[in-house]
Amino acid sequence: MRFRAKIVDLACLNHFSRIINTIAKLAKTCILRLTVCKLYFILSDKVANGGASMWCELSQGNFFDEFQMEGVAAEHNEIYLELMPENLSRALKTSQSAKAVKIKLTNKHCPCLRVAVELPSLSSSSRIVTHDIPVGVIPRRMWNDFREPSVPDFDVSIYLPVLKTMKSVVERMKNLSNFIVIEANLNGEMNLKIETDLVSVTTHFKDLGNPPWASEDGCQSSAQDRDLESMAEACIDIKKLQQLLAGQQVNPTKALCNIVRKRIVHFILLHEEVSLQYFIPAIA
Amino acid sequence: CILQCFLSLAVFGRAIHAIARISDEFWFDPIEKGLALRSVNSSRSAYACVFFSSMFFQHYCWTAVSQPCQQEQQLSLPCKLIIKSVLPVFRCANVLERNVEKCSISTNPSEHHITFQLLCRHGVVKTYNLTFQECDPLQAVFAKHMCPNILRVHSRLLADVMIHFPTSQEEITLSVTPMKVCFKSYTEEDTDFSRTMLTEIQLSPEEFDYFQVGVDSEVTFCLKELRGLLAFSEATSVPVSIHFDRCGKPIAFSIEDLLLEASFILATLCEAEKEAASPEPACHPRPWDSKADTATSTKPQQKGNTPSMDSAKPPSALAKQEVKNIPRGSEREVPGRAGAATANAGREATEAPYEKVRELPVNSYLYNHCIFQFHSLFFGAVSYKEKEAIGDTFQSLVTASDTEEEFGALQSSPV
Repeated sequence: MRFRAKIVDLACLNHFSRIINTIAKLAKTCILRLTVCKLYFILSDKVANGGASMWCELSQGNFFDEFQMEGVAAEHNEIYLELMPENLSRALKTSQSAKAVKIKLTNKHCPCLRVAVELPSLSSSSRIVTHDIPVGVIPRRMWNDFREPSVPDFDVSIYLPVLKTMKSVVERMKNLSNFIVIEANLNGEMNLKIETDLVSVTTHFKDLGNPPWASEDGCQSSAQDRDLESMAEACIDIKKLQQLLAGQQVNPTKALCNIVRKRIVHFILLHEEVSLQYFIPAIA
Repeated sequence: CILQCFLSLAVFGRAIHAIARISDEFWFDPIEKGLALRSVNSSRSAYACVFFSSMFFQHYCWTAVSQPCQQEQQLSLPCKLIIKSVLPVFRCANVLERNVEKCSISTNPSEHHITFQLLCRHGVVKTYNLTFQECDPLQAVFAKHMCPNILRVHSRLLADVMIHFPTSQEEITLSVTPMKVCFKSYTEEDTDFSRTMLTEIQLSPEEFDYFQVGVDSEVTFCLKELRGLLAFSEATSVPVSIHFDRCGKPIAFSIEDLLLEASFILATLCEAEKEAASPEPACHPRPWDSKADTATSTKPQQKGNTPSMDSAKPPSALAKQEVKNIPRGSEREVPGRAGAATANAGREATEAPYEKVRELPVNSYLYNHCIFQFHSLFFGAVSYKEKEAIGDTFQSLVTASDTEEEFGALQSSPV
């Protein structure tokens, strides 16, 4: 099992750092899955995570100048590592002016991802900062736990409002309540509601637009017969939503959410080179 | 009664903040030439001293106060203040200069008060009366010029290096050879590598303003305590000098310019002897015998002046492997002891491996006569009384540091 990669381009490095920062806000520990073409950051929906789960996918070619990977076995040419994204974030934090960053899987005292940042210095030789991030190797028999989640059979799919606005609304609501209700309809309207003994606050968004989903078996078209105004709602943990929104450092190209009434809210954030899916289960 | 007004309030404020990292209280020690602020941490493994020359102040007036119970040489009595009470005075060092026009400090020994008075804009006057505690003088002297390794570097570079370590990082190791310099997270044998992220920064000697490595060494010290000095030096933009020796000997970070001098002296960990055949005598904490110590500590030329064994408690929170930590620098002592040559004694006296700051007891011989003299021994000389025990301890020390089997002869390890 071997892995080595190198980033030389500063813009790619910054972009990669931003993605890692976003992941670090969403998960304390997550799985990094490496394949020949892609990297995945996966959080499975265990109780420990509060039931939330995450699937983030990026093409390595968009970031790395060099990327060599040899998986566990020929037929299973993948590597699954468990790590704390915060460590990776910290390692990359001070690499803003780096000449190059190399990442390598090593096993000195224990399996580690070694991040070596080459920084410019006043002298002829560069400054090298090395961070050894401990990782856990996930054995192949457990890989099934980390399969890509399927898009749920949602009641409503709607584009999200401008994330910055949504974030400031949610942040203020967080001070008042632990739970937030997201409801939306097929008419491009979304409400964010909190309700406590003392106060209830609702923020209304309209003209958001509903993304068209290709209907395979015509079941979606029956949705059009449904009442466009009827809201599908789910009550979720406000902190999870706030973490998702706060972690976004760049505006996504597309941001939408799928609501399964009273069950789960599925957020999809698409950027040019990376896609992030986040599932927040509804509170009963 | 002493009155001072500041030339640069922000710098003074930052000095207080820097010292605050070491301990909760500090010594306020005005002398004729200027004002010294000193602090030592509870485990006696870190000492800070910031000395402001009288020229730093717009107006510095210091008068000797003679106290009847002291000897004539008693010129001033330092006092101890709680940092927490002083910090609010100098909070937000940045804005201080903008809002405060003048600051004056005066001491009132009879009432045990120090008064800080800030004359601010718009006619606002803030007066802080802080009670001080009389105390024994605190002074650690470290023979910087005897250190084989000296680095001088701009504070910006040090800050750039330390930024790579998390703020929670307690200890880091500085490793030098004539070819390279490396700062890395400290690890010990029982570090759980599967949980700890380790960071290492390699620099080339060319990055330093002054680079002298006399002996390859790897010293581990507490980063948290140092951060105070780093912040302070960035504010003053004076280069930082680092003086150190092998592991076990203290390391000094200092900055110096016309108006002030600041030194942070930190104990370093000695990693070599981890599985010592734990010689009881060596590690057995003995009560600190200050009188006897002071007797030996004064004169650098004393023969047979063997640097301390663990005559006091094994130092510091730093040395987590307490008992296993053989008194440091044992290798170096051996040749010196064998010869007890005067030539060596001076040098080895300064290399007392015991990095603890001692408070000089008021009545001691040392205090009365030597308080302002240069102390050649940093800390803890072994008293004459304890000398007999040395024979045994030395043997085991030597074997511990060389090999574990040979309990026989005293071997001179290569220095």
